Amino acid sequence: MKKFRFLSVAALLVVSLSATAMAAPKSIKVATDATWPPMEMVDSNKKVVGYDIDFLNAAAKEAGVTVEFKNTAWDGIFAGLDSGQYDAIISSVTITKERQAKYDFTDAYTSIGQILIVPKTDKTSKTIADLKGKKVGSQIGTTGSMEVKKVAGVESKTYDEIGLAFEDMAAGRISGVVCDEPVAAHFALKKKEYNDKFKIVGKAFTKEGYGIVVKKGNKELVALLNKGIKSVKAKKIDTKIHTKWVK
Amino acid sequence: MLDNQSNHTPIAVGDGAAIPHKSDAGLFTAWRIAFFGSIVLCLFLAFGRPDQYMAIFKFVPDGILITFKVTLGAIVLAIVFGLIAGLGRISSNRFINGTASLYVEVIRGIPLLVQLFYIYYALGRFIKIPDMLSAIIAMAFCYGAYMAEIFRAGIQSIPKGQMEAALSLGMSRRQAMHQVILPQAFKVVLPPIGNEFIALLKDSSLVSILAVSDLLRRGREYASETFNYFETYTVIALIYLIMTLFFSKLISIMEERLNEGR
Repeated sequence: MKKFRFLSVAALLVVSLSATAMAAPKSIKVATDATWPPMEMVDSNKKVVGYDIDFLNAAAKEAGVTVEFKNTAWDGIFAGLDSGQYDAIISSVTITKERQAKYDFTDAYTSIGQILIVPKTDKTSKTIADLKGKKVGSQIGTTGSMEVKKVAGVESKTYDEIGLAFEDMAAGRISGVVCDEPVAAHFALKKKEYNDKFKIVGKAFTKEGYGIVVKKGNKELVALLNKGIKSVKAKKIDTKIHTKWVK
Repeated sequence: MLDNQSNHTPIAVGDGAAIPHKSDAGLFTAWRIAFFGSIVLCLFLAFGRPDQYMAIFKFVPDGILITFKVTLGAIVLAIVFGLIAGLGRISSNRFINGTASLYVEVIRGIPLLVQLFYIYYALGRFIKIPDMLSAIIAMAFCYGAYMAEIFRAGIQSIPKGQMEAALSLGMSRRQAMHQVILPQAFKVVLPPIGNEFIALLKDSSLVSILAVSDLLRRGREYASETFNYFETYTVIALIYLIMTLFFSKLISIMEERLNEGR
């Protein structure tokens, strides 16, 4: 930990001293659950790619560090941070009060909302509340699943991966899926297997910001990453990444 | 494994489902320590540390119910599949024998986790089966193959003379099977079936990947929102332990009763 602290301070120094931020030797290990397209996913070459990946690489470059990604299952991703298997998480993590109580977040690097997807055959449902008495799927431990659980009378079903929820809806076992807007668009509009089966209902009904998660008290890393995020936003690199992956 | 079981060792040592016998003093004591120890520990956690643990105990009970439903449903179906396939395995009809053997070999060669994914998601594209039911069918399909071998071994453990005697008394083959062989074989296969039941109870935790809200899934849901991983999985492990120890005791009592009647 001490060594780590020293290195991140050193990295900060290097960044502040040299305008071209590429001399820092520091590398950080970052976990991501690459089952959340287009934000993070595994491509045909078995490489982890996506919006978050490009964004963090860009931010890290600005901050003068390199990033090593580690593909980790979502429902143990915070536990791995606790046990020190990696330094940070970038995995479309919404900044919430509950999570902030246990972990530290960077500034929000993008904002999204939760949205409902239903089969095309469903002509009446407008919100989750319209699916009372039915099953609605989401990924375990996500803000989407928290939204579903808030609605009384709807049976919440949680999946290890959001793709499994969509597959279950295709099989007719559930009546709706709630997830982040970009992910919904990816599954409901871009995937050939699904775009004739599903539709997105209305507009996003929450406003959330994604942040990078670090262990509580790791202020150096938060400062370093925030610097990178700020710089990426100032240089409008993020709009390019957004166009590449989301639009 | 089951072929060489004799009357002295009624339970084959299977995949870790341990049923203690009174003659095995070490295990018997261990059973008592583990069983009562985990109950006491649960009570201590629930009432001694209510802020961390009470909420977990309140969150998971419907999961326990689902775990029971899946296990019970699967064991009943598995016994049916197993009996049919087991009889098929000793059939002299080459087609029936071949089909039953193929079923046993194919299913035993595929990991249960893969089978669950296969039946739920892969076959889900073609046939629409509700979630709980497909979890039960998948588990039963797998365990049916192991059960078939138990039934086959049980039937074959009955001396051939029994069948010959029944036939010479003028019974048909079917009558002899129903009235002479199967009732005796049933006593032989009960203990290993008990073992399979406990193994199935533990393996039922795999259905949590199918978004069936069993005990493990409930625990994972709780942990992933509260981040209390240590507390949650401690409770989940303890509940599973209490359940398997309870049933292993029940089965060993049942087995003793059966032996008395022999």
